[in-house]
Amino acid sequence: MLRALAITALVLMPPVEEWRVAVPDYAWSFPRDHWAHDGYRTEWWYFTGHLEGGGRRFGYQFTFFRIGIVSEPIELALDSDWASSHVIMGHAAVTDLESGQHVFSEVLYREMPLLASFDHDSEERIGWSRGPAGTKALWTLDFTGDGFRIAARDDRLEMGFELTTRAAKPRIFQGPGGFSRKGKESGAASQYYSYTRLETSGELTMGGERFEVVGESWMDKEFSSSQLEPQQVGWDWFSLQLDDGRELMLYIMRREDGTTDYAKGTVVSPDGEARYLELEDFSFEATRYWVSPSTGARYPVAWRVRVPSEGLELEVRALVDDQENKSRFFGGVYYWEGAVTISVTGLGGEALGRGFVELTGYGEGNRPPV
Amino acid sequence: MEPVLEFKNVSKHYPQPSTGVLKALDDVSFSIQTGRTLAITGRSGSGKSTLLHLAAGIDVPSAGTVSFVGRDLGELSDRDRTLIRRDGVGLVFQFFYLLPHLTVWENVSLPAWIASDAGMEERGRDLLERVGLTAHASQEASKLSGGEMQRVAICRALLRKPRLLLADEPTGNLDDGNSEIVMDLLMKLVDEEEGTLLYVTHSDEQAAQADERLALHSGKLGPA
Amino acid sequence: MIRYFFRALRAQLHGGLSLFALSLFGVSIGVAAVVSIQIINLNALSAFSGSMRAVSGGADVTIVGKMPSLSEDTYPRVLATPGVEAAWPLFRLDVVAEDLDFYLEVIGVDFFTPIDLPWEGASVDLSAALGEPGWVAVTPTLAREKGWELGDRLEVSVGTRKAELVIGAFSDFQKATPLASTRLAVMDIAQAQSLFGARGQLHQIDVKIFEDVDQGDVIAELERSLGTQVLVLTPEQREQQASDLLSAFRLNLTALSFISLFVGGFLVFSSTQASLVRRRTEFGLLRSLGATHRQVMGLLVGDVLLLGLLGVAVGMPLGYLAAEANVDRVSATVTNLYLLDAINQLEVPAWFFLLAAAVGLFSAGLGALMPALELGRKDTRALLAAFSLHERVGARAPRAFLLGVGLMFLGGILYWLVGDRWRPAGFIQAFLLIAAVPLVTPLLVQGATGLLRVRSFGLAYGMKGLGKQLQTTSVAIAALAVAVSMVVGVTTMVASFRETLAIWIEATVQADVYVSTPAWRRSRRRAVLDASVIEVLARHPAVEQVDRLRQFFAYTNGRRFSFAGVDARAPGEKTRFALLEGEMLGAELGGIMVGEPLARKEHLSVGDDLVIDGPKGPVALPIKGIYYDYSSELGSAFTHLETMAKHFGDGPVNSVALYLEQGVDSEHVVDELKTSLADVPLTIRSNRRIREQALLVFDQTFAITRLLRYMSLLIAVTGVALTLIVLARERSAELALYRALGATRLQIFRVFLGKGLGMALIGIVLGSLAGVVFAFILIYVVNRAFFGWTIFVHWPIGLLVQQSLVILGASVLASLYPARVASRVPATELRREDL
Repeated sequence: MLRALAITALVLMPPVEEWRVAVPDYAWSFPRDHWAHDGYRTEWWYFTGHLEGGGRRFGYQFTFFRIGIVSEPIELALDSDWASSHVIMGHAAVTDLESGQHVFSEVLYREMPLLASFDHDSEERIGWSRGPAGTKALWTLDFTGDGFRIAARDDRLEMGFELTTRAAKPRIFQGPGGFSRKGKESGAASQYYSYTRLETSGELTMGGERFEVVGESWMDKEFSSSQLEPQQVGWDWFSLQLDDGRELMLYIMRREDGTTDYAKGTVVSPDGEARYLELEDFSFEATRYWVSPSTGARYPVAWRVRVPSEGLELEVRALVDDQENKSRFFGGVYYWEGAVTISVTGLGGEALGRGFVELTGYGEGNRPPV
Repeated sequence: MEPVLEFKNVSKHYPQPSTGVLKALDDVSFSIQTGRTLAITGRSGSGKSTLLHLAAGIDVPSAGTVSFVGRDLGELSDRDRTLIRRDGVGLVFQFFYLLPHLTVWENVSLPAWIASDAGMEERGRDLLERVGLTAHASQEASKLSGGEMQRVAICRALLRKPRLLLADEPTGNLDDGNSEIVMDLLMKLVDEEEGTLLYVTHSDEQAAQADERLALHSGKLGPA
Repeated sequence: MIRYFFRALRAQLHGGLSLFALSLFGVSIGVAAVVSIQIINLNALSAFSGSMRAVSGGADVTIVGKMPSLSEDTYPRVLATPGVEAAWPLFRLDVVAEDLDFYLEVIGVDFFTPIDLPWEGASVDLSAALGEPGWVAVTPTLAREKGWELGDRLEVSVGTRKAELVIGAFSDFQKATPLASTRLAVMDIAQAQSLFGARGQLHQIDVKIFEDVDQGDVIAELERSLGTQVLVLTPEQREQQASDLLSAFRLNLTALSFISLFVGGFLVFSSTQASLVRRRTEFGLLRSLGATHRQVMGLLVGDVLLLGLLGVAVGMPLGYLAAEANVDRVSATVTNLYLLDAINQLEVPAWFFLLAAAVGLFSAGLGALMPALELGRKDTRALLAAFSLHERVGARAPRAFLLGVGLMFLGGILYWLVGDRWRPAGFIQAFLLIAAVPLVTPLLVQGATGLLRVRSFGLAYGMKGLGKQLQTTSVAIAALAVAVSMVVGVTTMVASFRETLAIWIEATVQADVYVSTPAWRRSRRRAVLDASVIEVLARHPAVEQVDRLRQFFAYTNGRRFSFAGVDARAPGEKTRFALLEGEMLGAELGGIMVGEPLARKEHLSVGDDLVIDGPKGPVALPIKGIYYDYSSELGSAFTHLETMAKHFGDGPVNSVALYLEQGVDSEHVVDELKTSLADVPLTIRSNRRIREQALLVFDQTFAITRLLRYMSLLIAVTGVALTLIVLARERSAELALYRALGATRLQIFRVFLGKGLGMALIGIVLGSLAGVVFAFILIYVVNRAFFGWTIFVHWPIGLLVQQSLVILGASVLASLYPARVASRVPATELRREDL
């Protein structure tokens, strides 16, 4: 029941005005901006990537969400460690791209000294949380100066990873000045930046087996206080790394009927220059669907993506159909977050790159995680 | 002289479901003077028991009057009839009706207890001696033989020197030998006490011992 | 034959309606006594279980602290334990709503753990729950009862600390678990800790274990990693703990209620017997017409079955009503003495009806057993012939008497062998006694009536007759004696206990004024007296000395007991504790005093060590003395505050005792302190007041036994009426003879009154004798074995005499109707076979 409550509460949070909102002229300051921004309602650090090791290939996801519960810090008002204005939600997933096995783990804690917290003073630690119940290890996110170190583990699921990433290309802003609009209303926007290529190495555990892995990751960092506009039900989000050195980010806010309500994109050139795309600059269509046996949601799992201005006409395909993440804590919270491969239409399916796709708002009664 | 008991045109009717009315006694008249003995004979069902019940004031007639020493029992309350019975009537039953859990002496004393009549102990013992049961005085009544029981019952009936002794087939439940003993004893005691006795019997032989005898046929009284 | 049964039933009911009604009454009251107690017993725990399910419904195990506090550091350790699927911390505290003299069970939860809470309404604003100071969700039932609405504020206190709560939402625990306490109030854990000044403290951690993992392994791992500081309990174990807590209380009530049923069984016996006597010719005739033994038995069994069923049908609702009428008192006991949840409502599960029906039928069947066997033994001729049953009891009286004496002797041997060391012994002894009473009754009735010299046809004649009609009378007399013995025994035990308590309080409550807080009663160690308040108290000019008391529940050898730290600086002549053994604590630190119940239960004596689970391992303290203790059956012990602090850490004081200067009026000081500390939630009571209140609580606890006593008496007196009616009917020929011999109605009426009076007198005398033994069993065996305390015998002569007179009066009243029936038997009823 609390599940329902928490969700309701998250939706029924105090009016947006009490929180800081994303602005076009946000004064960025790095590396401080890698750390948490308490005045905003939501914030996330999102890592996705492809890894190889021991002759196996894996897709992985690691996310820390910071969710503000009350806009005024109540830590000082109450004489309790449990006094907290935030909760931390962590999602971690690994997909064995050979066997198709997909494992998802999650944590949810209020921010408090015993359970989880976002550091503000540390030079390294951006945030940490306890692992899921039954797991001793912590989940952590550190800034190393030239990249990030992430660790997540779930002993029960025999899954986990400790990865070090190093920026292979510079940080870029998503949207001019790192101001990324999500709808026609002025408040519907976030502060958003990405590392589109992070060299990644470390250890990964899957099915109880440990692998030394290397590969590439993509990191997104967003914070905002906005929420979906009423007509929006979810989004499709693409982060594609092309073998020619370019990266492509696209998102489409969908309406109930599946049509596009709002869309934006970014193309990053091999030398790290970002060019912003509007709705009319690209198009995409789903070419194949997969129905989740556990939630009944019907997700697209293959797309034809066109960016005429970049001369791109891509076939994007899920490497594994079932890469659905379903929350244990929140009934109705499930989404698809999966590794994809990219090929050029008409070239016989030769791989042209790889990436991750996030699909939210599919299925009956679905709610986005944030 | 006033008779001890007088029946004047006495009828007793019991309502019956089928035939309407059962006439147990029909226009019966007779009287009995002090010191006399009267025997009434009749077969079973002739109305003997009803006659005795009326005589003892246990029941009242449907018509006519039953007078005890001049008092019309039908006019009296149940309580007054009870007191007349207590103080003036002795009863001897065919089936003795001794209380099995009381001793012989206690059974004999019962009328005195009921009447709160102290000083009857001596008389009780005397009576028992006269019927030859002194040795059994503190025995439970249920242990006695039939003849002994009836002798005890006679003592009980005579204890308070009733003006009228009523006996209902006093030997009806006894063998011939005992019948004779009991009957003789009864007549002897009545004689000694100068009592008045009305008894009912089906035996002509016993009836013959009375001063007078009458016969009851289907509720009607006639000469023997 | 079934057709015949129903055909005969009508005639029979017509013939013996009053008999049937009386035995039905008896069985109904008996069933009602058992039903009411069982309903109360059942529900005494269901509130606890209901609340437990409501709060910890999804949990497989619950972790509670054994030390004065459960640190929240424990929580992440629990969380990290392999096999744990989820764990949620709970902060629990009973707070007193100030103006209402009423407590709320506050549960501080972490809203971000997967705990199910039955919110009422579409949604709850979590930011308000976290951010609005004092936000609390209460049950809609309580809100309705108190007229609270959303946004209403209420002041609560725990110890001297006050807090303001705001009704922020409704959580309908009763919807999910109907018996859950209506006083449950949910708030955020941070708010709870902060409001009630308990930073860093938890009271409970609920754990869910993965289904495919061995629960035992996880529990073992938790116990290993968390150490002796905590208890890891399954819901079954928690229910068991609560049940153990109440077991003695419940068992005693159950035993008493069964005595009512037992007495009711006698009634069935009497009435079956009567119906047998009445119907013997009928049965004989049926047999001569070819009905089998079994068929005739069947008729009798059918009667008893009907009686039992009707008894249950009437007794059940009656029992429910009785339970309802008494639930508040029991609830008060459960909350005041055992600190469990109040009984909010009574629920009777379906199986209970079956059980009650079984109990009713069984006791009716048992009552009918003997007469039925008697019937079975008779052949057709015997049935048609005069009934010789009556003499049999008389003949067997000496043997029965010997058997009864033998049973009592057996009870004596049992006491000699095990004393109070084996719990069931007391009940076995009580049972033996109760079984012996009916056995010795016939001979005693014979003897007593045999002594009577009758010289007139009145009361005495009637009494004497009792001995001659033993088959009928001895059963009722025995029933009355059993009931009286219970009344005398329980009355004596309660009176002795009360007197003992009063003397003990007199000795123990030595200080002039006692100061604690309203929350102290339920929250104990969490109800803290602020140091500043103690300073204010000490500054009062009349106060000569302040003795502090700190108390919490500790564990020894797995047993939970109340552990106190005291100043023990009271002047020498003011020994606050009546000693059973050893000496007082004295000035030297390190020793401990142990209360009698704890000492008995743990077999401790002076010189032994009491080994207490401490935060750094076991703490062994040498026992200096053992004191009489009637405060709690759990057991108690106390030591110097300094000793307690040394082993268990510093902690706040929960109450203080004030010694005033000689000649100062303590009531006056109480008033002054109340005025000067008006804004602090305090309970300030004078010596006299605290004594009164202790006895008040005592009386409340035993109030329910009064109901039971009266119920069985009612049944027993009904038995007197029933027996006399049986006599009036059965012996109508005898009565007719008396009438024929000139006895007036009034005389027969008096004879019957004499019988009633005689039965009452013999029953009272015999019952009182047995009651004395019963009292001894209760005091020396049952109470010692179950509660572990010594009660000094005190005979409440006045009360017992008064009760006897009431029973006598009631019996005479009960004789009136039968006497009237008897007096109306006409002389014409004479029939030869009846004498």
